[in-house]
Amino acid sequence: MTTILNEILAFAPAALFNIYFAAASIPLGFGLAILFAFGKASRNPLISALSRGYIYAFRGSPLFIQLFMFYSLALSMNVTHWKPMGIDWLVLHPLFLGPLVLVLNTTAYTAEIFYGALRAVPHGELEAARAYGMSPWQQFRSVTWPHMIRLAWPAYTNEVVFLFHATAIVYFALPVIGNQKDLMVTAKELFERDFNAYLHFPIAALYFLAVSLAVFFVFGRIYERLVRHMQRAPKVRYAPKWIR
Amino acid sequence: MLDLLPEWMRNGIGDDAAFWIGYLTNGKHLAWYASFQFTIFAALMGGALALVFGLAGAGLKSSRFLPLRALGDFYSAIVRGVPDVLFFLFFPLAFEQTIEWFVSARICSPEAIAANPAPWPPCAEANWFLGTTEYLILASVSLGLVYGAFATNVIHGAMRAVPYGQLEAARAYGFSDRQVFWRFQIRQMWVYALPGLSNVWLLLIKATSLLSLLQIADIVLWADRLGAPNFLPSVGLVHGDWRWRYYLVLLVFYILVTWLSERGFEALMRRAGRGMLNEARVG
Repeated sequence: MTTILNEILAFAPAALFNIYFAAASIPLGFGLAILFAFGKASRNPLISALSRGYIYAFRGSPLFIQLFMFYSLALSMNVTHWKPMGIDWLVLHPLFLGPLVLVLNTTAYTAEIFYGALRAVPHGELEAARAYGMSPWQQFRSVTWPHMIRLAWPAYTNEVVFLFHATAIVYFALPVIGNQKDLMVTAKELFERDFNAYLHFPIAALYFLAVSLAVFFVFGRIYERLVRHMQRAPKVRYAPKWIR
Repeated sequence: MLDLLPEWMRNGIGDDAAFWIGYLTNGKHLAWYASFQFTIFAALMGGALALVFGLAGAGLKSSRFLPLRALGDFYSAIVRGVPDVLFFLFFPLAFEQTIEWFVSARICSPEAIAANPAPWPPCAEANWFLGTTEYLILASVSLGLVYGAFATNVIHGAMRAVPYGQLEAARAYGFSDRQVFWRFQIRQMWVYALPGLSNVWLLLIKATSLLSLLQIADIVLWADRLGAPNFLPSVGLVHGDWRWRYYLVLLVFYILVTWLSERGFEALMRRAGRGMLNEARVG
């Protein structure tokens, strides 16, 4: 029992790294995703094609390879670009590069979710807004945005949990610097020391489960707020489809 | 490779092209191309197993016997609740250790265990060496287990989406419970399950990029080796750090596979939806 408790305590600092990766990339990804969702729905063929291509490329390829590619790209530009600019310590740092790639990745997935929600915004309400003489910004502010965010929220909750799970592979592709170890690296190192697979990996899994449940709880509260005006509010599903 | 071409063709292509053909067909590159078999095997085998586990899990989940139902719920909830990479690493290691433990209980003498300095295995005779083939099979099984949990949910939902009237009509015609299940519920379930299964398959393909974590010399590992700065004493520096170009090739490969899979699933969905209502086909 004490072994398990000690183990849980030993993993606590490592969990912070996973939480940092997720927390650093989610807000930025959220903002960019809105832009890309509108880009994909844009009537301008160039903007639409570019957003479409970006979303397809990042959803169609593994995050693991994206991490490797951007890391090696940054490495190959190190001597020519980053060193002269004096920012090589920042660009090559996993705590910078990891969230950067995660942002690029989650932007694509979230944009697809938002795009789907955008197309489900009731057309009649938009027409009514236009008939009232609202400017495009007012239409967005009072009709499109509230509908979009409410329709997309359950799927977005899944995406956030999935992104948190995806932080597990960041340090398999990027170098570990000193003591900056996340849950998976810690579990793997402890395993290589005493080969106790049944202790270390389930404890790491426990952290992932706990944070996932916390995310579901918080996002569920937000969802309740988003649908509070509806007479028969759709219940948030705690056993969601988890399809990314 | 270049020597195989006839003389006139060799003269026809310039030195530049000859260099590239030679470079792209050297031994290491051929090994890289050959390593695609691991990825493809893991994807197909993992996909087949995921379908089997998904059907089994859905069967458990809709069981009338409470412990079985709880087992199905537990399987689909826990495996989906942790990152795929964690389970992907944990399962082969844990499986190997479990086998070694059973073997050691049979063949290890207490003296041998006491004399063994390493924490694992208990004694040297109980060590089970795993090569690429064994790890590949274990990796496929763990891919099947992880994505089987996703497929469980998809298939369970699809089975409940089959219109109840269809099953009632079948029963009214005198079909037995088993016949209703296999000939009506499972047969009609596919139309509802295919969009979800297509998503699971796309996730599974992307997870095959993780094979190198289990010491399998797969496409990712080879891309890393080939792209690393290449220096030959006889020629000098062949190329600098080209890793990102090799990863870009892999990125394009995965995007192409995704595109092909989507077209394939569209064709499957058209086929499965024949003679059914339009709403079912849209899913």
